Amino acid sequence: MILAALLLVTQVAVQDPRLDRLDPDTRSAVAAVVDSARVARLPIEPIIQRALEGATKGAPATRIVAAVRRLAVDLGIARAALGTSASEAELEAAVAALRAGATPQVIARLRDARRPPLTMALSVLADLVASGVPADSAAAAVLALAPKARDADLVEFRRAVERDIALGAPPGAATSVRLNAGALDITPGSLSSPGTPIRRSRP
Amino acid sequence: MFEREDETVERVIQHLRRPVAVDPGLDARVMRQIAQVPREERRGRPLLWPLLAAAAVVATVLVAQPWNRNAASTADTLQFVLVAPQAASVALVGDFNDWDPARSPMQTAHGAGIWATVVRLAPGRYRYAFLVNGVEWRADPNAPAAKDDEFGTPSSVITVGGRGS
Repeated sequence: MILAALLLVTQVAVQDPRLDRLDPDTRSAVAAVVDSARVARLPIEPIIQRALEGATKGAPATRIVAAVRRLAVDLGIARAALGTSASEAELEAAVAALRAGATPQVIARLRDARRPPLTMALSVLADLVASGVPADSAAAAVLALAPKARDADLVEFRRAVERDIALGAPPGAATSVRLNAGALDITPGSLSSPGTPIRRSRP
Repeated sequence: MFEREDETVERVIQHLRRPVAVDPGLDARVMRQIAQVPREERRGRPLLWPLLAAAAVVATVLVAQPWNRNAASTADTLQFVLVAPQAASVALVGDFNDWDPARSPMQTAHGAGIWATVVRLAPGRYRYAFLVNGVEWRADPNAPAAKDDEFGTPSSVITVGGRGS
């Protein structure tokens, strides 16, 4: 009895006050997902933000709860691919890449090919797919650029591909052409780390 | 013709999106100037000091943005812009302000229909959208779309890099 009361008090104490914007049932279900994520040492802020997004957009409770549960699962998959030292921002970007169609293997290869943070590389991968580039083409392009390109180079690459697509180029072809053009344009001064791909290990 | 106008608007938007550099020495210069004001003159304006103190608090909160989950020295100041000539109000809502429309209301200059607001963001990937007239959700036409929109309304994403961006 006392233990149950203590557990209840603890739960109330750690519950994020921002979740008060949810109705009681939704709040309880979301809080359970947040608690599970906390125990699993996953970032909880993205989960809270997704719940708040749903609340502000007036989404039904079932959809909000489903969204936060799915996000928690995907954060776990992302962390398995990136390692326990991955930052919250990297994990969120990895979730976006996974949902765009990148496999955990691609994300793990990216981790091995590029020095952290990987946030921008993963985001560019996800954004390319959102622009219509096939997931395997986007993954191949980002993996090819990852060892040497700066974050700014990756963003410029994405913008160039998007411009070409807007002008009518097939997304896959635009990616391929820009990748080849970019390979010719890279100058030593623009490289974050010239030479061989960076290898590192993460738990 | 439309393409040329679109390109012009695009250029204006890209220009407005550039980070705004805030001079870190600004506070010191302001305080130096205040110190140079003769004491008698300062005494003659009893309301000045409370107002300055309040302004300092507001400025500190705006710069530090305690609601920003990763507020840090590496944060970028970004300007968000939406062209909405018919709108009566526009708010920027997203992962960076708890999806609270009251946090980042956008302003339009002289009723021209170009709505803008400035937000400081730490490195990360953020979902956001514009809320027009309190009821209509719009994605940012100049940013990648959020593909995984589970709530049935459009959103966009912005990624703030932490290296070489």
